[in-house]
Amino acid sequence: MVNRRLASLAGVAAILFAACSGSSTPAPSAAASAAAPSAAASAAASAAASAAASAAAAGCVVGVSWNNYQEERWAKWDEPAIKAALTAGGATYISNDAKSSAETQANNVDNLISQGAKVIIILAQDGTAIKPSVTKALAAGVPVIAYDRLIEDPKALYLTFDNKLVGKLQAQAVLAAKASGNFAIIKGNKADANADFLRSGMVEAGVPDVGKTDPAGKIVIVGETYTDNWDPANAQKEMEQILTANNNKIDAVISENDGMAGGVIAALKAVGLAGTVPVSGQDGDLPALNRIALGTQTVDVWKDARLLGKAAGDAAVQLCANPDITKVAGTAPFTSPGNNTLTSQLLTPQAITKDNLNVVLDAKWIDKATLCQGVTAGSVAACN
Amino acid sequence: MTEATGTVPESTREQAPRSLRGLLQALNLDTRLLGMVGALAVIWIGFQILSGLTGPKHDIFSGTFLTPVNLYNLAQQSVSVGIMATGMVLIIVSRNIDLSIGSILGLTGYTMAMVQVIWIPKSLGLGFDQPYTWIIALAIGIALGAAIGAFQGFLVAYGKVPSFIVTLGGLLVWRGLVFEEQQGQTISPLDKTFQLLGGSPTASLGDVASWILGILACAGIIYTLIATRRKRRKYGFPVRPTWANGVLMALGCLAILGFVWIMNSYAWPPGLATQYAHDHGITEPPGGLQIATGIAFPVIILIAVTLVMTYITTRRRFGRYVFAIGGNPDAAELGGINVRRTVMLTFVLIGILAAISGAVQSARLQAAVTSLGTQAELDVIAAAVIGGTSFSGGIGTIPGAVLGAVVMQSLRSGMLLLRVDSPIQDIVVGVVLVSAIAFDTYVRGRSAR
Repeated sequence: MVNRRLASLAGVAAILFAACSGSSTPAPSAAASAAAPSAAASAAASAAASAAASAAAAGCVVGVSWNNYQEERWAKWDEPAIKAALTAGGATYISNDAKSSAETQANNVDNLISQGAKVIIILAQDGTAIKPSVTKALAAGVPVIAYDRLIEDPKALYLTFDNKLVGKLQAQAVLAAKASGNFAIIKGNKADANADFLRSGMVEAGVPDVGKTDPAGKIVIVGETYTDNWDPANAQKEMEQILTANNNKIDAVISENDGMAGGVIAALKAVGLAGTVPVSGQDGDLPALNRIALGTQTVDVWKDARLLGKAAGDAAVQLCANPDITKVAGTAPFTSPGNNTLTSQLLTPQAITKDNLNVVLDAKWIDKATLCQGVTAGSVAACN
Repeated sequence: MTEATGTVPESTREQAPRSLRGLLQALNLDTRLLGMVGALAVIWIGFQILSGLTGPKHDIFSGTFLTPVNLYNLAQQSVSVGIMATGMVLIIVSRNIDLSIGSILGLTGYTMAMVQVIWIPKSLGLGFDQPYTWIIALAIGIALGAAIGAFQGFLVAYGKVPSFIVTLGGLLVWRGLVFEEQQGQTISPLDKTFQLLGGSPTASLGDVASWILGILACAGIIYTLIATRRKRRKYGFPVRPTWANGVLMALGCLAILGFVWIMNSYAWPPGLATQYAHDHGITEPPGGLQIATGIAFPVIILIAVTLVMTYITTRRRFGRYVFAIGGNPDAAELGGINVRRTVMLTFVLIGILAAISGAVQSARLQAAVTSLGTQAELDVIAAAVIGGTSFSGGIGTIPGAVLGAVVMQSLRSGMLLLRVDSPIQDIVVGVVLVSAIAFDTYVRGRSAR
């Protein structure tokens, strides 16, 4: 009796989940039918748009579709930068928020078009689910900028930081601290393409794949693992087991982000190795920058969201005048994981170490009290 | 834990056993629990051999699983799930489910971090690392956990909303609140005293205190066995033979003192020892300073929680009621049990336990992140079920659930040691979970026939 009740509840839950997740997958038929006329339509539209290119930028309305404005970063860093760039270019800013729903975002993009947006910037909730909307916008003669996250559409301008370079910078900073020995690599979520982008960047810097040796033969990868959901607590357990398996003989750890670096450093601390074993990270998390000042983390690859926002604003202004994305300054072809050749603009991330902590201070990314909490006076230049 | 659950047949009283079955009967132990200990032994030995074979020496003797350091880590890693599993037993026994504990863990853990990193030092301007910070943070966290549990329990017990739905909602709501609290930022570094709750060689008892604790526990077992025996005799209940009682005492003490011995044989890692010597002005002897680690603080918390929860479930009216409700809710209601109040209290209890786990987890990570406790509910339910808790209600034990948590964590840590990637780990854990329960159901069905 109870079993049956439980089973039926589970059934209801399953249906609820299915309903929720169903919205993130586009109906194939809709996608196909929308794609067919798009080529002709966009050709016509771009002709029309270039005719109007000489019109004043004053008519340039740029719509931004945020996937989740509730997250701190977008409101605090990205939006003001985009707005500033648009204002400087004489364009107008409109926006809406999809509240983490791919379905809502599809409606939101339509909405921006009907509000008269001439260029649309999309921070995609789901890079696949948004494709029909992108096709629709392009068909209406509105160029699309894929902001920060990949949308596999060759006609959309892909604007992001160079993730491969992030991995390369992480590896380089760690190698600068420790050029040889036993290395452990804590990677992010297996389903996230970024985890592998980062890893390939490390190979470029000279950190070999598991089982392979680097040219000089001085680095041994004694532990390498993906981490579910980039979860710091999982990373901590992984690091503990790697330490156990190698009798604590670990010389360096390359962690793909700051959260996981926190878990790694907690594990290193428990065996008294924090501060002697170099550890990498990325994202510019405030606690991670504090750890760099304290000396327990070696490098934090920082992607200043304001640079990305400015680049997007500038690109939008240019696209208002000329909707050809290949003509936007600083773009280059980019081969995507889906083997499409996209037009992209990849910004350069910056490696933050103990020696250039003033960069994040000067940028007002972090205040001095937070950065220098617990730091011994005189040990770090930026904290003096 | 040591209480006899059934009666001993007259024929075996005061006689030496003639067979293994006779021996088990005389000892009158929970055979399911014994089976789990056996399964755990198989898992441990298996990982020991495999880690040796895949290790640098490629033989079966150089394994790293059964080393003091790994067992020390394993004990710590099992704590968070173990604590919550003790509460999940009562929830499942009374025919409910709680899917929200991972999110409650996250919310309480995150809030405690806010208290010690933002509210006390910054909002109130009292500064970091005050001596009272940790206890205030912990109290607020536990109160919050209890309040959330009470709210959910009220909806389930008085509102008659199925617990699956209430806690499914809770799973989403509490996790959402974690993001809302500080826009998804990581909160760190935590209060220095609070961090001790997470355990590390510097947050452990040390050898002397560990031995004292072990000997006290051993004395406790002997006392309980004698007292129980005396009481049962007084009321004319059958008792174990004297020799069987003696064997139980010896086994219990051996297990406890063995555990203490292993924890003590994990010496501080050289890095920490050097640091300690430096900080205390000690010249290191050749070969380094040897400091025994002992039992880690969070492990002591888990042991205390297990004892208290076992006491509540087996010796208090509340516990009896929970089992009565699980056995037959209607009969319990007709028998005069306040079913609604009892059910609500089980949710309050698990809310408190989730908060304690939240404290241990965040202290261990030395930071509060928004993903704290994500999917913990699944591990906890699996631990309770592997530990013999039945979904049809009325059956389950606290020590079993804790053992279940250790089994789960052994699988995960062992696979990490063997460098198995996380998706494969999930597959193995899932297969083990289902086969364990299928096997158990099969055995139970046969013995019932």
